[in-house]
Amino acid sequence: MSSPDTSSFSFPAQSGSRQPTLSLESVIKDYTTETEPVRALDNVSLQIGTGRFVALVGRSGCGKSTLLHLAGAMDFPTGGRVVLDGVSTDRLTEPELTQLRREKVGFVFQSFQLLHTLSVAENVELPLLLAGHAHPRPGALEQLASVGLADLADRMPHQLSGGQMQRVAIARALVHGPRILLADEPTGNLDSVTGNSILELLRRISSEHNTTILMATHNAEFASLVDAVVRMRDGRIEEVAVR
Amino acid sequence: MSHLSIFFRLIVRPMLRERARSLLMLSAVALGVAIVLAIDLAGDAAAGSFHSSLQALAGDDNFEVTADGGVPESIVGDLARLPWPIRVTPRIEDHATVAASGETIPLIGIDFIAQANDPDEVQLGAPNDTSIFDDINSPDAIWTTRSLSDRIGSTVTLVINDHKHAYTVRGFIPTSARFGGDVAVMDIDAAQRATGKAGRVDRILLKVPDQPGFAEWQQRLLAVLPAGVQLLPQGSETAANRRMLAAFRWNLRILSYIALLVGAFLIYNTVSVSVVRRRVEIGTVRALGACRRAVLLAFLAEAAIFGVAGTLLALPLGRLLADGAVRVLSTTVNALYVSSQPGTVGLSTGSVVMAFIVGIGVAVASALAPAREAALVPPTEAMARGRREYAIRVERGRDALLAFLLAIAAAFAARLPPVGGKPLFGYIAALLLVAASAFAIPALVTVLMPLLSAVLTKLLGVEALLAARSLGGSLRRTSVLVAMLSTAIAMMTAVGIMVGSFRQTVVIWMERQLPADLYLRPAGEPGGDRFPTIRPELADSIAMLPGIAAISRFRAYQIEYQGLPAILASVDLGPSQARDGTEFLSGRPSSVVLSQLDAGDSAIVSEPFANKHHVHTGDLLTLPMGVRAASFRVVGIFYDYGDEAGIVLLARSTMLRYLPDKAASSLAIYLAPGANLETARAEIRKAATGRDVLLLANGEIRRQGIRTFDQTFAITYALEAVAIIVAVLGIAGALISIVIDRRREFGLLRFLGAASSQIRRLILIEAGLIGILANIVGLALGYLLSLILIYVINKQSFGWTIRFHWPVSVLVAALSGVYLATVLAGLYPASIAQRLNPIEVIHEE
Repeated sequence: MSSPDTSSFSFPAQSGSRQPTLSLESVIKDYTTETEPVRALDNVSLQIGTGRFVALVGRSGCGKSTLLHLAGAMDFPTGGRVVLDGVSTDRLTEPELTQLRREKVGFVFQSFQLLHTLSVAENVELPLLLAGHAHPRPGALEQLASVGLADLADRMPHQLSGGQMQRVAIARALVHGPRILLADEPTGNLDSVTGNSILELLRRISSEHNTTILMATHNAEFASLVDAVVRMRDGRIEEVAVR
Repeated sequence: MSHLSIFFRLIVRPMLRERARSLLMLSAVALGVAIVLAIDLAGDAAAGSFHSSLQALAGDDNFEVTADGGVPESIVGDLARLPWPIRVTPRIEDHATVAASGETIPLIGIDFIAQANDPDEVQLGAPNDTSIFDDINSPDAIWTTRSLSDRIGSTVTLVINDHKHAYTVRGFIPTSARFGGDVAVMDIDAAQRATGKAGRVDRILLKVPDQPGFAEWQQRLLAVLPAGVQLLPQGSETAANRRMLAAFRWNLRILSYIALLVGAFLIYNTVSVSVVRRRVEIGTVRALGACRRAVLLAFLAEAAIFGVAGTLLALPLGRLLADGAVRVLSTTVNALYVSSQPGTVGLSTGSVVMAFIVGIGVAVASALAPAREAALVPPTEAMARGRREYAIRVERGRDALLAFLLAIAAAFAARLPPVGGKPLFGYIAALLLVAASAFAIPALVTVLMPLLSAVLTKLLGVEALLAARSLGGSLRRTSVLVAMLSTAIAMMTAVGIMVGSFRQTVVIWMERQLPADLYLRPAGEPGGDRFPTIRPELADSIAMLPGIAAISRFRAYQIEYQGLPAILASVDLGPSQARDGTEFLSGRPSSVVLSQLDAGDSAIVSEPFANKHHVHTGDLLTLPMGVRAASFRVVGIFYDYGDEAGIVLLARSTMLRYLPDKAASSLAIYLAPGANLETARAEIRKAATGRDVLLLANGEIRRQGIRTFDQTFAITYALEAVAIIVAVLGIAGALISIVIDRRREFGLLRFLGAASSQIRRLILIEAGLIGILANIVGLALGYLLSLILIYVINKQSFGWTIRFHWPVSVLVAALSGVYLATVLAGLYPASIAQRLNPIEVIHEE
């Protein structure tokens, strides 16, 4: 592993495309709390190429989640630029941001965030339905098969284990073929064995589907699975370790 | 942990945090209580304490002597000559219309000399002022209230019966006199002449000494009075009015409670949601040592807060609404029951206490079940994180069985007779049906939701799928919301069907009952107990006009029968057309029954009269006629929707044998075949020159009847509207809590690619789905309730047979309006959902 210049980091694509899937250029994000303004991200620059699997680590409040939200076109930066698959988010309107998310971004959360009133298959096809697809079921079943849950399509979420729920959430995040998958503590609610199997699944997805993955995590056992580890502290990138 | 701190932590803080929701709940409770208060205050005021205006200036007498058709004047002399110290006060009691304003006022004729000589009587002049006697012999002299005239010597034109005359104001009635509103007073002789009651008085008031006791005096007086006159304790009329108006007020009061019933569902839902949301907090305070009772009290206190604050808001609001309601109600009371001046609307201590009892009582009672559920939350619940959904055990099977049993109980209650003249079991049946429907709703939602979900998802897309699943997933909350709105819709539907059926029945009845081409009656506002007359000569001259085939004279007197007001009337049975219109309960042909009526002492009675007094065909009715008591054989019971008090109808020739006053209250005029209506109308007008009469064509009189009908039921529509408003406010409040509870879900949907407009659409579809379910349940329940209203409550209260009729257009308009209002109620919650920051809410725990 190496530790290059900490002001700007670039993880080019493993092959093919020269354009990074995600590019953060001197990104600043300020929030105003009830008492005082808070700088969540402070001049962060980062480029991640297609098919890369990058882990973001750091203490709670260091800016990991904020970075994920900006990367996922959920928010605008206060300063700098976020470019997602060649599209700069700061020039987009709210509907255009939504469209960008629909096409290029998939999210996975720590607490799975499945809708308990929908079946497994319905949960997975939800991004397609929200995007207006008329026949989302075959795509959803295909994704469920790819995460090893083809037999559980008609179950309700409360009938699944934690690991199965997170696999469903991953299938949902991938169903629309996003360019980047953003995972916020995807193993945080799982035991270590199940957590590792989820990480292996993500690794496989990154390799097989050539999907870029940016994952915020506390899990120390990921080192062998990711391409790079970005350590954050107080809204800045403190250290980068490339495998 | 102190009760206060538990209360603050579990109740006050969340209430303040969700201000919009709290305010909506508060408004709904306030509106529910306000409407109950308004109807109570307005009912009291509109009924004028049940005093007829004609009781103006009555003194502190013990007895009153009356007779159907008037008391012969000679009886006044007979009573005055009795060897006992009795005060005898004869009175003429009639009505006049003030020509300038159209206002109908009581016209009282009193014996000025007797009045002036008795210091206990109401005095029209100052003590020792004899100027009043100067004008006794003037037939034009009147004494009025100051609001009718501003100075002595001015003239006031009054329409009395069919003639208009200018009277000179000779003095003002002192404000100390006992009356409410405007009144005109004349000397009794002048009043007899003006009203055409020569030789008769309407009432004789008697004041007897305290000894030898009321019963003894009653016996003594009855012994000297002829059989046909009635001796009643004074105030009998007030008591009779009270009894007559009881059903009207009772039904109105029950209607006003609908909004409160809807409010009860709302409180139940609000406290249920509070309990579910705060299970973790409840578990925590329980773990920290709070006892079950403290938790129970905290949640009951939440309901009590809504009750107290809602009632505080309801007091001024109810007082304000009462002002509007009293105008509508007094029009109805005057048109249908008794001429009375509305009293002043005032918040009494009693009404304020009643409002608080109702407001707090309903709120706390509605919160009992969810508060008990809160008290049963175990302390371990504090550890069960993430149980935020409103997924509570709903025992659909048990509830459906309960619903079935309640419906059977309702069917049974609907068949029970009235209690004390009130349809108590009818109301119980209606309440049981509402309860049955509430218990049936979870099963119904479970069945209907997948069907609606499948159809709507095809039509409206993923938002409909999410909305339907969410509602189905929160079965209890959805069921309570549907129950709340459907109850309001059902009441609206039921009253709509009842009024629509009644209206249609009246329209058909009028078509049969009003066969003449023209109708003539004295001008002035018609009233339930006012029957001004037309001079006999005018009727005779109209009958002789060219183009007139026949006339039928109708005469009515206000009477009291078995302690209740009723109408004694007579009609000419000469014209063949007049014999065909009447429809009898027995189904016998009109011509056959009416030919029996024509022969001898026979009578027919209206359906309300028969029901009120339990009269059947073949019974004998004994009526005090003039100075004789006469018996009449009932030969038929006819459908009648003109008067709730009930009518005893005689042939005119029979009536004249007992009460020889030939003046008619109205004339039905039949044109000869081929005669021109307008020409005949012009001829009649010419013949009536100098008379203040109203000539109406058949269509006009029907329209007038329907107008009165619609005015009468305007208040019921207003009450229904308030219930709907309360329900819609409740839906808006509930949708806000749905948005708050499901904010993480909405945040997630944004992460998964939902546009903010899709979130808004989702909430509006949820509102729409609640509206659809509530409309389906409400329409079904409303239909069943309408059957109870028409065939049980109305029948037992008023005695009318109403034929069922679907007022399709009214219902379609009303249900669409409610549906639209429900969807619009989702607008604000939808905008809250749309504005949620997905990043903030997705990370909330």
